[in-house]
Amino acid sequence: MSEAKQKEHVENKEKLICCRCNKELVPTQTFFDYLGHNFHTDILRCPECGEVYIPESLVKGRMAEVEQELEDK
Amino acid sequence: MEILRKTRSVCPICLKPVPAKKVLRGRGVYLEKECPEHGAFSTVVWRNREDLNSWIGDIPPLAEGENLNCPNACGLCAEHRRDTCCVLLEITDRCNLNCRYCFADNHQGSDPSLDTVKSWIRDLVVPGKTLLQLSGGEPTVREDLPEIITYAKEVGCRYVQLNSNGLRLAEEDGYAKKLADAGLSFVFLQFDGTGDKVWQQLRGRPLAEVKETCIRNCDTAHLGVTLVPTLVPGVNIHEIGDIIRFAIKNSPAVRGVHFQPVSFLGHMPHLPADEDRFTLDELLYELRMQAGKWIHQEDIAPSACDHPLCGFHGDFVVMPDRTLMPLTRRGSSQGECCCGVNTVNPAEKNREFVGRRWERRDEATASQGDSCCSISAPKSGSSCCSGSSMSMEDFLDRAKSHGFTITAMAFQDAGNLDIERLRQCSLHVYKDGRMVPFCSYYLTPFGE
Repeated sequence: MSEAKQKEHVENKEKLICCRCNKELVPTQTFFDYLGHNFHTDILRCPECGEVYIPESLVKGRMAEVEQELEDK
Repeated sequence: MEILRKTRSVCPICLKPVPAKKVLRGRGVYLEKECPEHGAFSTVVWRNREDLNSWIGDIPPLAEGENLNCPNACGLCAEHRRDTCCVLLEITDRCNLNCRYCFADNHQGSDPSLDTVKSWIRDLVVPGKTLLQLSGGEPTVREDLPEIITYAKEVGCRYVQLNSNGLRLAEEDGYAKKLADAGLSFVFLQFDGTGDKVWQQLRGRPLAEVKETCIRNCDTAHLGVTLVPTLVPGVNIHEIGDIIRFAIKNSPAVRGVHFQPVSFLGHMPHLPADEDRFTLDELLYELRMQAGKWIHQEDIAPSACDHPLCGFHGDFVVMPDRTLMPLTRRGSSQGECCCGVNTVNPAEKNREFVGRRWERRDEATASQGDSCCSISAPKSGSSCCSGSSMSMEDFLDRAKSHGFTITAMAFQDAGNLDIERLRQCSLHVYKDGRMVPFCSYYLTPFGE
């Protein structure tokens, strides 16, 4: 899915459906480990199988920023 | 006695290059060398508070035939191992203090003209990259300092840093704002202690209140301040913990502390004794002893850009309860690719690291509370803290507003100059069209 399309989904709060379980993904607090640190943010997750949907905008946005803050000299 | 590494140095009297070796003797490591004319010299360089070999890591020793022209032919040559991270530019010899220790001569002479300074800046700048340190003397004695700063930004300096004793920033209303409006990025503030006894001893007058006013004025002008203590045995070693406590208390106005163990540059009549020196590993030890509440051994890593014996860094975030969240992990292989080879230019990486952290990155009008979860209104709709986890959004806000660094730079003098270290120097002084490694530029012989 293109980044623009993902953004549209998220901003328009369109429903995203898990293709395996046919359930609507719901925002769920999700934990990330990076370089010995633990962070959480809300990610769309399938309530049935637990599959998460991480939009490209998050990867290239906040996640990249966190990485930059933690990156050593 | 065990020879640990061979290198080269200079005779501290005549500055002629001489072979040297680092030897383990008793509880210390000494740089030993001999000049055919002036005899043998020994200087303590490490006191085994940390294991020297693991601190140095895989940096190769100086091999036979390498860097034979160091330091007499400095500028930078093809054998120099680092690009320029920061450029230091002296814009005046004049100063409004008369300090016991100063690497710059205080001539009270006439300043280079504004046009001359501009031509130097045009020559040294790499647009979009240069971190320019305006130094002296005391740069704020120049009335045209704002014009110099504006010009440096106009021609493309990414960061402009002011190295200052802070007197004028404290005493002249609106001066900090004038410099901020001109485009100044941050201030490196001479800051040797928290009480007037230290100021009297090192700088000849009580300055504690002046320094605090300077920090307040810079805060109002939204200028980041990094405290720069010169550490002198018998004078202010016991102040290390208090300086860090003061810095943390004054975050985010204060962006960190940059320790400089005393070096003997400028005219010195006698070679210093070993007890007059404060080695980098002693500083690491004192940090643990005096500031162990905030800083742990693994939070501080040896310099990767400059030689490990030249400095260290620790990156933190000041949390609402005034504890430090460490971001640096000693021994981690961040920034390296899978084969262990760092693919990023170390000088560029270092420049961006320090620039981003020493600059204020919070909004000028933002006022962040100091209670957890009211750092800022959590954007995620969930609490910012969840056990040992922190919300990504709140971490980013806090890291930007309250980033904090503990760094050190141990300058070399004619007594302890080590070419293995000098060839990796990334702090360069601009002079007459050349970039000269800092410790080579300020190298002065001992003696009358």
